[in-house]
Amino acid sequence: MSDTNGAAGTATHPLEHVVIPVTGMTCAACQSRVQRTLRRVPGVADASVNLLLGNAAVSFDPDTTTVERLVDAVRDTGYGAELPVTARSAIEEQEALDLTQETEFVELRRKAIVSGVIGAVAMILSMPLMTAVGTSMGSAHAAAPADPFMRWVMESVTPSLRAVAPWLYAIPAAGLTYALLAATIVVMVWAGRSFYARAWAAFRHHAADMNTLIAVGTGAAFVYSLIATVAPGLFTSRGVAPDVYYEAVMIIVALVLTGHTFEARAKRRTSSALRSLAKLQPKTARIVRGNDAREIDVPVDDVRRGDVVLVRPGERIPVDGEIVSGRSAVDESMVTGESLPVEKGPGERVIGGTLNTAGAFRYRATTLGADSVLAQIVKLMREAQGSRAPMQQLADRVSGVFVPVVISLAIATFVVWFVTAHATGASAGAATVRAFAAGVAVMIIACPCAMGLAVPTAVMVATGKGAELGVLIKGGQALQRAGDVDTVVLDKTGTITEGRPIVTDVSIVPGAGVDHDTLIAAVASVERSSEHALADAIVRYATDRGIATRAAERFTSAAGGGVRGEVDGRAVIVGNESFLLAHLAGVGAEIDAVRGDAERLAESGKTPVYVSLDGRLAGLIAVADPIKATSRAAIERLRRMGLDVVMLSGDHPHTANAVARDAGVAHVVAGVLPDGKVAEVRRLQDDGRVVAMVGDGVNDAPALAQADVGIAIGTGTDVAVEAADVALMRGDLAGVADAIRLSRRTTRTMKENLFWAFIYNVIGIPVAAGVLYPAFGILLSPILASAAMAFSSVSVVSNSLRLRRFRPA
Amino acid sequence: MDTLDWVVIAGGVAAIAWVNWYFLLRAGDDHHHV
Repeated sequence: MSDTNGAAGTATHPLEHVVIPVTGMTCAACQSRVQRTLRRVPGVADASVNLLLGNAAVSFDPDTTTVERLVDAVRDTGYGAELPVTARSAIEEQEALDLTQETEFVELRRKAIVSGVIGAVAMILSMPLMTAVGTSMGSAHAAAPADPFMRWVMESVTPSLRAVAPWLYAIPAAGLTYALLAATIVVMVWAGRSFYARAWAAFRHHAADMNTLIAVGTGAAFVYSLIATVAPGLFTSRGVAPDVYYEAVMIIVALVLTGHTFEARAKRRTSSALRSLAKLQPKTARIVRGNDAREIDVPVDDVRRGDVVLVRPGERIPVDGEIVSGRSAVDESMVTGESLPVEKGPGERVIGGTLNTAGAFRYRATTLGADSVLAQIVKLMREAQGSRAPMQQLADRVSGVFVPVVISLAIATFVVWFVTAHATGASAGAATVRAFAAGVAVMIIACPCAMGLAVPTAVMVATGKGAELGVLIKGGQALQRAGDVDTVVLDKTGTITEGRPIVTDVSIVPGAGVDHDTLIAAVASVERSSEHALADAIVRYATDRGIATRAAERFTSAAGGGVRGEVDGRAVIVGNESFLLAHLAGVGAEIDAVRGDAERLAESGKTPVYVSLDGRLAGLIAVADPIKATSRAAIERLRRMGLDVVMLSGDHPHTANAVARDAGVAHVVAGVLPDGKVAEVRRLQDDGRVVAMVGDGVNDAPALAQADVGIAIGTGTDVAVEAADVALMRGDLAGVADAIRLSRRTTRTMKENLFWAFIYNVIGIPVAAGVLYPAFGILLSPILASAAMAFSSVSVVSNSLRLRRFRPA
Repeated sequence: MDTLDWVVIAGGVAAIAWVNWYFLLRAGDDHHHV
């Protein structure tokens, strides 16, 4: 971008963002290559390629480049790219991706099966050929065929083959060789074309990836065989058997394709949770429209904000909205993970994609399309599933230099084998043959696919599993960090407690000359103008008892103190002790008289609120925020997991301690102001702890952001809490334990995967190079190497898929 | 060790040098983006 701004002499252009679907990427090396290419296109500010979602997110300057040019740049690297379809919701994008993945899988499978069958037939056809070569060249070439795997197969199969199909041995060797050549060309061009095309495209960009290894390995074997076929004299005149490796080329291509087929299937399965979320969206909605209030079925896309939607028993709710009439229990498990249906009545929100059970109701559509809760969850999950975990960097760094190093090792293997074989008396020809097989085996076994898949597949499966449990983890970074958490800080209000205080006690000061209803009416009238949670509790208390409130005059409020105003000419002051003392001279003695009551209330976790009417203390109202029914068990679970649980509260220590006692929290930090929460989290971090902060995401957003992992506890509808790394769809704390347990499991899976991917190469490469040969005579055939390579990718992906069986305790 | 061995060794060293030059050095800073 920097090289384009100056010329026009204008200010910086606004960047445009585009997501381009990219097909054909199979490993981390492919991904980094497409990314590098895009970043080099003039006018591109940034590009981030996502291997598993198969797309590239690009920020570019529209004056300098176009989307078409970006697509061309990707195609130029040998991968497929399409112009993005604009204005699609996350759900539609997911459906499109599913279709692409399905097509890719079906095509891979067909190619793998066909080339596998051709390869197997070719192997049988090569039997007489090897025997023929072996005998024609005499006992001096007993080493032929050099490929030990082929030799083993040949020795075990030849006798029966001779008995079953003696005519095979009657076919002239040249005829068989040319038939094999033709079959190999078919397999390479039709089934293996993508390897060669991509390897070539990579080569032009000075890059090398797994395609390079396969292309160079099979290409070398093919060229060698081709020369042996068309000019066998070149070999025989030097005393070398003109061996061909056609069957090896075909079977390697078939096995690598088989590996890719399994991978493609596994990749589809890693995103199955996302797919089932996307499928929740019904296609049509029954709405009431027009002057005659007709009921009509319309596609969900045609539903407009404000439309009244009808839902009958057993139907899926088509869009988000608010119930207008009717009642029902709604099964929201697919979105919130809550297994029991939730009772809903007029005024309450319903979420599109959830399942209505027995009742029928009408509701007004609110958020639609890309803004709907379901679309937002799917979008968030797609972003999370493609995000990179920090552990990925290790794999990325290695795979960046891996391929050139492996090619170097393969060349070194060839040289060492040649020289040692030659020096120990083998002919130059025999030495070449043996050295050649070892070099090819090194290249084939060292494909870095497993390394590229180790971390991303675990992230995908884990985030999908989280979504099923109502735990939205916003990416690999959060996932890995949450696994390291040792301290969980819980906000009190709205997290441990319901966050909706209720009035528990009302007491009148003897001799105040008011009754219960008068006191409440006066207090509620003043509090009506306040937005404080305590005020809300008092107003609701009044409303529930049918106590009428009036408009208050000269209303003033002090944050964290109280409110005052005039109702029907009476001066009303409501607030805590210091607020009353500050605004009312001489009330101290009256407060002292009820202090015992107030302290008793505070010790049982209630907040005492003093009320004065016309300058005299008139009453004491106790307000408490009840603890959620699920909090205690959830906190116990966190402690059993070895986590240190800390509760933060802005309340008086008496109140906070009482709540902590009831909830089972040992460490309490009370009297914390909203901005004090950040300091408290930082203090814990300075002690070397990895802190997860759990809050409602509204007034504790800074603390969520400060914490290593911010967990927003939700109500099922606010998905996109920006500051949070993890959003819980349910309001109960059990999700915190689920999130941390899932993250721990996932981190372990990622480590296992990386270990297996690395150990496989650490063991495989030396064995293929022949280090075991001097002592044990073990040499890895290129065919076995390709089978092992396919197996390693499949085992890593399968290990990630085990996370799908994760059960929260 | 005869001449052929030395030719193969020299060829191998040259090939390794070329592979690393072509893929690592000429690709330059790109690999730091990986």
